[in-house]
Amino acid sequence: MLEVKGLDSGYGFLQVLWDVSLNVSEGEFVALLGPNGAGKTTTLKTIAGLLRSRAGEVKFQGKPIRNLPAHKISQMGISFVSESLNLFTGMSVRENLLLGAYTVRDRRKQLDSLEFVFHLFPRLKERASQLAGTLSGGERKMLAIARGMMSDPVLLLVDEPSLGLAPKLVLAVFDALETLRQRGVTILLVEQNVNTTLHITDRAYVLEQGRIVLEGKSAALLKNEHVRNAYLGL
Amino acid sequence: MEKPTTAETSVWDVVLSSMAKVNWSIWIVIGLSLVAVVVTGVVAGPSILVSAIVTGGMWALMAVGLSLVFGVMNIPNFAHGEFFMIGAFIAYFTFSPLNNYLKDNPNRFLSLIAPLLPILVAALAGLPLGVVVEKAVFYPLRRRTREQWIMNSFLLTVGLSFVIINGVLLLWGPNYRGIPRYWDLEPVSIGSVSMAVDRIAVFLIAIVIIAAFWFFLRRTRTGRAIRAVAQDETGALMVGIDLNRIHTMTMALSSALAAMAGASLLFMFQAYPTVGLKPLYFAWYVVILVGLGNVAGATAGGFIVALLQTLTSYFIGVAWEDVVPTAVMILILLFKPTGLFGSEVKGVWEQ
Repeated sequence: MLEVKGLDSGYGFLQVLWDVSLNVSEGEFVALLGPNGAGKTTTLKTIAGLLRSRAGEVKFQGKPIRNLPAHKISQMGISFVSESLNLFTGMSVRENLLLGAYTVRDRRKQLDSLEFVFHLFPRLKERASQLAGTLSGGERKMLAIARGMMSDPVLLLVDEPSLGLAPKLVLAVFDALETLRQRGVTILLVEQNVNTTLHITDRAYVLEQGRIVLEGKSAALLKNEHVRNAYLGL
Repeated sequence: MEKPTTAETSVWDVVLSSMAKVNWSIWIVIGLSLVAVVVTGVVAGPSILVSAIVTGGMWALMAVGLSLVFGVMNIPNFAHGEFFMIGAFIAYFTFSPLNNYLKDNPNRFLSLIAPLLPILVAALAGLPLGVVVEKAVFYPLRRRTREQWIMNSFLLTVGLSFVIINGVLLLWGPNYRGIPRYWDLEPVSIGSVSMAVDRIAVFLIAIVIIAAFWFFLRRTRTGRAIRAVAQDETGALMVGIDLNRIHTMTMALSSALAAMAGASLLFMFQAYPTVGLKPLYFAWYVVILVGLGNVAGATAGGFIVALLQTLTSYFIGVAWEDVVPTAVMILILLFKPTGLFGSEVKGVWEQ
């Protein structure tokens, strides 16, 4: 479903990604791991259209999408949940969610998505009229993920959802992702929490200093010596 | 401020919590304004208040458009007054032939609705004007660079202002074009106050348009998208909003509102190339006073500034009309740089 080949990307004159290639097949739950500053967020942002890349190929469902405007990529069914969340803090939870479904014209579908998302995150339903800016950190993360789900995406790109969350909430977030995966959503997850991530994903890529250094089935990577040394502290 | 825990927050909770968050300075201003209104009504007579209310409505229209463009596009528009001016000219050129026709062929019904036409035409003409300005001037800048955006776009608007003013000067000359009144009816009396029909109509138009605009921003999909772009551009992109379309629409709406204000006030201000400067300054007073990017506050602010202007004009003298509001604005900015109602435009200065 998603094919990235030889991607070079960065910020202005600073090149961050060097010849990055990865694949995500339909229905898969794939992780992109690596240390801070490796370029994981850059990768997701480039795929989502928020960053211009200089070279390489990005194909979604066979169609080339590299350097397409971000809103067009969103309209094609790719949802990006950023690390900085980018919530509309002056609007209520409900309005944020409705905006998540901006590309969905059918009112009935919008309400169905809203219902699903409230079912997945009951805390959000409780706070539906509250301003997004007044939510706690964990609630904001949930709202960001929920908003990403509102457009009923085919591919979900999630950037470090567990960052800064208390362990209980981390579990809740991963549970939510697992539920989505069961619904058939394809997910590409960027995370620093390597252990938990490798336990719930199918496959993983390891990105270091802008290059893919390892890839494979998550179960196999758990036993990989480099991974164990560098990321699992074993 | 404690967050409500389990139960759904009611509207009342939201109102109360936002009231509590609001700074003491706002309450002082609102309190002073109410006192001023009462005192003026008693001392100077209510007709002064009527004058303030009429201009207040129009400053509100101007300020809403200005605030919108600043909040959504981060452009401090100093050419906003020129949209007002063009609206005035369009209204004049639309109304004059109509008026002449009606003089020769008096028609009661037509005379009643005729003034609405130039106002409508000006508003409709303001839309493509805004589109053209956005696409020709600001879109190319956005594509080129976002660095120093505020200064660059500001300078562009100043240049735009020169170009438009002198273009109109060339086209239509420096003479003042005015009309004595829109509606040839007897002034209406409420109590001891006598109000010209034109003034009442202008106030009603302002209220209706502002209400419609509020509804548009709050309740429609596109209005919500506009607010989203103002709050978080990246977030807006992420949910699939086309930024270019929203920017163009915002500028178009802003110029339509200003043109409508100019057309409505033709009987008061007349049409000439530099007529837009005063409305521009007052719109900026309102926006700065109230806080950049705050559309709701711009409405209240419009009336407050107009009140201040009218009071100054009456009690101190017409020549001081601009001085006192400016001085007040400076004082307020000294104590609260983000404006009275603060605002969500937190990202602007960082950009």
